[in-house]
Amino acid sequence: MDDFRRKKLIDDVASPMIAILAGLLVGAIVMLLTGTNPLFAYKEMFTKSFFRPYYLAETLVRSAPIMLSGVAAAVAWRAGYINLGMQGQMAVGGLVATVMAIYLPVHSWWGTVLCFAGGMGAAALTALIPTYLDYKFKASLIITTLMLNYAINHITNYFVAYPMRDPAGDGMAQQSVQIARSLRFYRFSNKNAMNTSVFVAIIVVVLLYFVFTKTKFGYESKITGLNKNFAQYGGIRSMRTMFQTMALSGALSGFAACIEIFGVRYRYVNSMFSSTGYAWTGLMAMLIAGYNPLLTLVYSIFLAGLNIGGTALQRNVGVPMQIADIIQCCITLFVSVKILHEYKRMKAFSKGTARGRTS
Amino acid sequence: MNNLYLAAVINTTFRYTTPVLFAALGSLFCTKAAVFNVALEGQLLAASFVAIVANYYTNNVLISLLAGVAAGAFVAWIVAIFQIKWKVRDMVVGTAMNLLVQSVTAFLMQIIYGSRGTVQGFGMVALTKINLSFLKFSPFLYRMFEDLSTIDYLGYIVAVLIFIYFKKTVSGFHHLSVGISGTAADSLGVKSQRIQIRAVVISGILCGFGGVVHAMGNVTVFAENMTSGRGFIAMGAASMAQSHPLVAIGSSLFFGTMLSLSKTLQGYINSYFTEAIPYLCTVLAITVYGVIVTMQKRKPAMKA
Repeated sequence: MDDFRRKKLIDDVASPMIAILAGLLVGAIVMLLTGTNPLFAYKEMFTKSFFRPYYLAETLVRSAPIMLSGVAAAVAWRAGYINLGMQGQMAVGGLVATVMAIYLPVHSWWGTVLCFAGGMGAAALTALIPTYLDYKFKASLIITTLMLNYAINHITNYFVAYPMRDPAGDGMAQQSVQIARSLRFYRFSNKNAMNTSVFVAIIVVVLLYFVFTKTKFGYESKITGLNKNFAQYGGIRSMRTMFQTMALSGALSGFAACIEIFGVRYRYVNSMFSSTGYAWTGLMAMLIAGYNPLLTLVYSIFLAGLNIGGTALQRNVGVPMQIADIIQCCITLFVSVKILHEYKRMKAFSKGTARGRTS
Repeated sequence: MNNLYLAAVINTTFRYTTPVLFAALGSLFCTKAAVFNVALEGQLLAASFVAIVANYYTNNVLISLLAGVAAGAFVAWIVAIFQIKWKVRDMVVGTAMNLLVQSVTAFLMQIIYGSRGTVQGFGMVALTKINLSFLKFSPFLYRMFEDLSTIDYLGYIVAVLIFIYFKKTVSGFHHLSVGISGTAADSLGVKSQRIQIRAVVISGILCGFGGVVHAMGNVTVFAENMTSGRGFIAMGAASMAQSHPLVAIGSSLFFGTMLSLSKTLQGYINSYFTEAIPYLCTVLAITVYGVIVTMQKRKPAMKA
């Protein structure tokens, strides 16, 4: 048993490391093809994401919504419900929380809590619509959640383009007015965006680790993900698990959006969750982490660093920042091939027994 | 609303249908071999981008078409390697590939053209248009089929060809057998893995045609992430058609109508809402379809 655990740990740590190196290698090849020295570029990328205080703060602030949407995805995916709608759920949650913060007479910390509750509730309801359609009418969750992303993006943009638009400024920016000062998270200095919301996000992610591993809900959703029939046979009510996991997934997406708005942006901006791609980066972080919240936290910080470094790269070296996205996608693909490893072993095993029988 | 206006709307519907139809055919072609292909979106986008780049440099319709189709097939080939050869989960490959194509096209756009947003060129050529002159007697019909490209018609022909392939050829029969049971097909000497890889690559070729039409059919332009969920709409269309190629024509036409309505209604309703129509209708259509299927399933049980 101990030996097995050690092997599993090596597998869990080593295969993402190999994948990350391979992903960086692909990035290096792409940069070589575009005529940039990859060593120089990577040095620039990593100093401007982890090794300077200002950029490290930026990376951590960026990682907060990514890790939350990552665990939001992990909650649903590990139970076998493919939620691709984190982006739309974030948009609804963020918009509702902003509306509450602007139009309700709320202030100080309880106001923030109230707005968060509203945003998370709205996001959870958004996630429950496709869940209900899938449960009742067998409408594929994958397609409906993804389609709602696009629809929600257009409809939320309407609100900041017309009724909620900030009249101040140059009139070009489609965004709401800023939320009250007392509702915002505490910022440590004026020099960077570092604020207390990052710690809140980390605490929530760590809590979810315990929810996943130590609670009845975590166990039930995991078993449902592994084998739905077995779970039902074992007395787990699949319908309740489905609605619970999807609601939690949506609420966490809403939480991610609120963290971004109340910690960094202070307002709802046109397409703020579809153009930044937090949801997709979070999804990749949790795929690399294999649904583990603590590892999702680590990889979210890493991927956020890649993004921040990517923008620095675009500014200073002239390599488009999408290089960071390319590297992330490659890492995700390479990590997923670790199944190849297991598959090969299984195949070798079955071949061995077959040969044993014939001889 | 006069008659000619209606004809123009129908004409737009045909144009919007083609990419969805091709992608839906690609989707069902995979489904019939028991492969769930989520990367249609990436295959479409890659084809659109490469077709426009080839067009920018050569100004040749045929070369751009072939380049686009090859790009779609190439993306599909990578998907096939990961998903079928290396047994990676379909959702993981699909989402990662879609995002990869999206970022690679945005990256290359900046490298080649030095800007984000859209690529438009002066000398770029559109697909060859066909005007049916024998319809001149009726302005309505003439307007309905005006300026459709060869590939718009090809979509419907391919749908029929796939139907014939499944029904009448040995190879198509093998394809279907893999879809029903891979191990059973394997035991009878059908190489199921090879058939599955071939199915995915063919879906890439089909999506290649769709992507080329999407970029070069109407106005010749590439915009960042221009397919905007059409691959997933096509998945909806294919699942509504229960993977029947001829029924897929109907469901694709429905989604084509929704896409064209979202453009035509912009004059009357705020465009933020009309843009959301095709996506909401996809959700609605899949749901309604689900209701019908569950009702059908219930009926024989009640009789018994």
